Parts: sequence; structure tokens; C-alpha cells
Amino acid sequence: MRSLLAIIAAKVALKTNRITGSGGTALPGMLAQKLDKDILRKLVLKNFPKGIIVVTGTNGKTTTSRFIANILEEAGISYVHNRAGSNMERGLISTMAENTNLYGRVDADVALFEVDEAFMPKVCRAIEPDTIVVTNLFRDQLDRYGELDKIARSFRNLFEDLPNTKLGLNADDPLVASLGYKLENERKATYFGVGDYNGPKITNDHTADSIFDPFTQQKLHYTDRYFGHIGRYRGKRGGFTRPKPDFQANNVRQKGIENIKFDVNKTSKAIKLEMPGLFNVYNAIAAYSVAKICLDTDENSIISALNESSAVFGRSEQLNYLNREVVMLLIKNPTGLNQIIQTYLLKEKDRLLVFVINDNFADGRDISWLWDAAFEDLKGYRGKILVGGTRAYDMALRLKYAGLKGVSIESDENSLLKMIEKNSTRRSKIFILPTYTAMLSMRSKIAANDDKAKEFWQ
Amino acid sequence: MKAIKIAHLYPERMSIYGDFGNVLVLSQRMNWRGIKNEVVSIEVGDKLPKDIDMIFIGGGQDKGQVVVAEDLMAKSSQIKDFAESGGPLLSVCGGYQLLGEYFISSDYGQIQGIGLFNVISKATETRMIGNILVQSEKFGQLVGFENHSGATEFIGRAQPLGVVKKGFGNNPDDKLEGVIYKNAIGTYLHGSFLPKNPKVADWLIRQAIKYSGQNIKLKELNDELENSARKNAARKA
Repeated sequence: MRSLLAIIAAKVALKTNRITGSGGTALPGMLAQKLDKDILRKLVLKNFPKGIIVVTGTNGKTTTSRFIANILEEAGISYVHNRAGSNMERGLISTMAENTNLYGRVDADVALFEVDEAFMPKVCRAIEPDTIVVTNLFRDQLDRYGELDKIARSFRNLFEDLPNTKLGLNADDPLVASLGYKLENERKATYFGVGDYNGPKITNDHTADSIFDPFTQQKLHYTDRYFGHIGRYRGKRGGFTRPKPDFQANNVRQKGIENIKFDVNKTSKAIKLEMPGLFNVYNAIAAYSVAKICLDTDENSIISALNESSAVFGRSEQLNYLNREVVMLLIKNPTGLNQIIQTYLLKEKDRLLVFVINDNFADGRDISWLWDAAFEDLKGYRGKILVGGTRAYDMALRLKYAGLKGVSIESDENSLLKMIEKNSTRRSKIFILPTYTAMLSMRSKIAANDDKAKEFWQ
Repeated sequence: MKAIKIAHLYPERMSIYGDFGNVLVLSQRMNWRGIKNEVVSIEVGDKLPKDIDMIFIGGGQDKGQVVVAEDLMAKSSQIKDFAESGGPLLSVCGGYQLLGEYFISSDYGQIQGIGLFNVISKATETRMIGNILVQSEKFGQLVGFENHSGATEFIGRAQPLGVVKKGFGNNPDDKLEGVIYKNAIGTYLHGSFLPKNPKVADWLIRQAIKYSGQNIKLKELNDELENSARKNAARKA
């Protein structure tokens, strides 16, 4: 009875949201949770005969989830998936309430949830996932998440509390890989990684957070570092070292900013992602692993799903603004931003760059991280740079100390859009790098001029 | 002209929090004035060179602090001699804590500091997070972002960096922020600290030049953007 009331309340709130056009996903979940505090567990546990998949980690949650969703679709497996940004407890409840009937039944075989790192212990103890995949762990919004080691410790305890959950871990991230080291009862995690990468690299990388053996604090020896602390490394003999990946991307070849190709374990057919960036190879190989370990999907479905995937909401998504080509590149932390610089901007000389930096709660209130990102790698850039957002001055200051010129500040977004128009011409390509809330608002303003993007909001 | 040498202590383990920004600002503000300078990274086990003119140490995770504390102890007398003889030093957050008498962490017990500053720190249940505004006698208005659960208090004589106008500072109670002893500063301000507080940066540079035995007058720089950014941050505190 209690859960019936909770479902009804959440459904009414969801309807109201849709009528009023407000996009909030937390409120319906909050209402349902008030009425029944175990509502998430009740709704998830009695559903999904083919399993519950959870994707977490600092960067790549949304894109990895999108890849998995596409694989599920290709394989004809029905699923429920939370929308980008609704990855905290209440967002998940809202997702469930939206998809359930009044008896709490969901007509889908698989649940696919991306979950915020801070909510992992609570959410996963409630829903007992069949598979958890961890993409990577980097310093991120230290005001919200606290120290990286504490997050890692909470994951480790969680994994021991869920002995039947399959684990998909990034072998190339020492902190993530260590989460599967010497688990109780000789339980083995599945590892994914990248075997080689010869594409562009940034030179001013200050984001290596975990280059030490997490158990002994001895420095790890890297034979190849791709970015941050991601790469091929080894520890002292007999101790923790990079586990051999069960699924390894090889022959990684990037072509401009159009696409990136690789194969898996040197045996698969070539996979070609229609989006650039080594980080997307990691997202794809993570999704590939999930499909192999818990979905038992055939190889061809996986590969064609990955080949046909397109960019996700705000993550290297292409939009049209007054006949200019806009690429939205969401930035949240120094590692993600460095990856964007590495992938898109190293060769740029004169394209219009727009940074929009907000410090609302969802962005992280603290913008110290801008100082850890590799703006020094943009030193060959000679074009115009516009900066906006509630922390426009901080961003401009960061660029000043990186030695970049041609920076203009405009905190108001509408005026910023006018400046973008004035500083570009038809058919020119513009890179917009916004923080989360800036991405949402810039995107909706641009979408008002672009029918393709508008669809998302309906 | 001899290059001004800045020792950046433990960038691998103690620079999780925009600490690179502080070193960058020191270096650039010398570059823009044509003052030769050099930043040397000193990791655990490395020797601290004798001819340094400034020391910077940033913040890290509790786990990293344990290893760093041991190494600091081995460098203790050299660092203290440097500071006692007027060498400029900036320490932020975790680094600040380790230069005090001791730090009682929640997971690793008591970590011994080198006792340069007359302060002690203890892990608390209160996470002191947010924009912070400080009024300093020496430097005027200071802004930053703090994020710590360690509370620091003075033991014996110590001079705070400033008085907290908004936020927490050293601890939730006494409204004092940081410490200044001779030319050594300890602070909880991230942001990064120096970009929006260029007066502190220039003061450190002046002390480093003096310490190096040279006589160079600092040219004025155009700090319009720095000041706008500080005022904008002050409004948020």
C-alpha cells in the first residue's frame, strides 16, 4: 500500500513536470521516497529478469551507458535507462516510477543505471546489481566528493558486501584496478584496458592522482602513460600490478576529430566510433566488457552497435547555431578537460573557442580545478576566445596565466551568444566548453535555433 | 642575475587541488618582469637543494600525507633554517597542517609535523567547505575556497594570516585564518590562492629576491583582471 502511494505520487509529479515543462527529475523521486523509504529497492528488485547493470566512475558514465544501451537495442533486449544527469538516488527512483505500472511491474528485461560515485554505496546496497562497471577515478569536484581514496575505499567495501556482483574494472587506472585486487574468496573481476595509443598527447598534464601502489604507497613504473594516471604500468614483483585485461583495445587509430578506430584482443573486427578521443575508446571497451560478461551478446551485435553510436547530449555533440557548426564539449574536471584539449584543440590555431564556467551546485562550487588543467598546451592558439558564466573572470585569469591572448569576457549568456555570432561566420566551426549547468542552458538556447536538438527536450 | 629558485615540494603527492596554479602565478609574475626563475620539483626521497629562494607545498589526501610527513621530518632542519633566516614559504591546506606540531587524522592517527608553525590540527566531523573571505592586516582582502575537515588552532604565540569575514578559516570557532611566521605562510585558501591574491604573490617574490641576495625593484603589473576576479569571488563568499 505504501509503495502504491509512492508510485502514484511520483507519477503525478512526473506528469506535472511534463505539463509545466520543467525538466527536474529529482522531485518525483523525493516524493516517492518520503512515502516509502525502501521504494527504490522494491521497484528494482522484483523486476529485470536479465539483470541490473550499474555504470559509475568519474568520467565517461553517460557515454558508456549510451554504448551499452545501443548494444541492448541491437540485441533486441528491452531495458530501462536513467537519463543523463538523473544519476543520484532520487533520479533513479523517478526513472523507475516513470516506467512501472501501479503494481510496481516494469516491462523490461534489463535495468541500466549510471550512478553518481557518492551515491554508489547506498544505491547499490539497495538494488544489488548483477554487474558494476567502473570507468575511472579522478579528482573531481572535491567540494562534493571529498578525497579520491575515500571514494575508492567505499567502493571496495561495497564490492565485498555484494559477493555475487560481477565487476568490470579499468585495468589501466591503478586505483580502479586495485578495487579488484585480492578480493575475498578468490573472486575475480573482469578487466578492460587499452594496449597501445600513439595519438596526440598533452604535455602539461597535472592530473596523475594515482601513480602509487594503493596498498604500499610505492611508486608504480609506467611503460606508457596515455593521460593522467591512465596507461600501462607495473608494480613491485609479487605485489599489486596492472592486471592483464580480459578485453583490450588495440591498434587505436584516430582520424582528425571525426572518428577513432580500434579492435579488441587483436581478434575482433575493427570498431570505428563516430566520435574522436581515446577516452571514448575506454568508454566503448567498458561497454564491450559488460556485454560480454553479463549479457552474453554476440560479437556482431556489439560491434555494429558501437559503430552506429552517436555522441551523447552535450558530450562532443554537434549542433547548428545560425548556420554555424557548434560542438558542445562538456567539462567537469581537469582530466576530462585535458582529454578534450588532447582530442580537439591541440592543432587548433584560430577557431572560435568559448568557455562557459558556472559554479552552481551541479557544477561544483569550487573552480580551483581550472588551474590544474593543461591550458598551457593551447599556447600555439592565436584565435579569439570568449569566456562566460558566473566564474568568467576566473576563467579569463586562468587563460591569462597560460599566456593566451584575445580573450573577451561576457558573463551574461544571451550577450555571449550575440558575441559568438559576431565573432564567427556562416559555416564556421565553434567549440563551446561549458560546465554542466552552463551546458544545459547554452544548449537549450542554441536548440531554440536548431530543430534537431529540440527533439531531445520533448 | 641569478635565477630565483622555487622548490615545489611533493607535486606528485601533494598537488591535488589547484596547487599548480600557485606555482604558475609566482613564475609568470616573475617572467612578465624579466626576472629569471626556475621551479624544481622535490619528491619523497629527493634532496632539497641548498640554493633555493622559496618553498611551496600544497595539499594532498590524508593517505599521501603520511608518507610525506616522514620525508618532511628528514628535511625538517633544512626547512626550518630556511624559514628562520627569512626564506619565503607558502603552504596550503595539507601542507600547512604538516608544518605545524602535529595533525591528528581520522584514519591514520597522529601524524607528526615539523613544528615550524605553532599550530596543531585535528580531524573533525565538520567539513569546512565553501567560498571564504578574509581580511588581512598585511595584504588586505583575501579570497579563496576552503575544503577541509581538519581544524587548526594556535598553541603559544602565533600570528594569523587574517581574520575571517565569511567562511570558516582555521577552525569553526575563532574566526582566524592561516598563520604567518617570519616570511612563511600557512593557509587553507584554495582557489587557487595566489591568482586572485596577487599582493601575496608579489610579497613572496620580493622576499625571495631579497633572500637570494639581489636587489631588484618589482615593476607594477596590470592587475585589473586579478582584481575583478577577486571582487567577483568576494561577492560569492
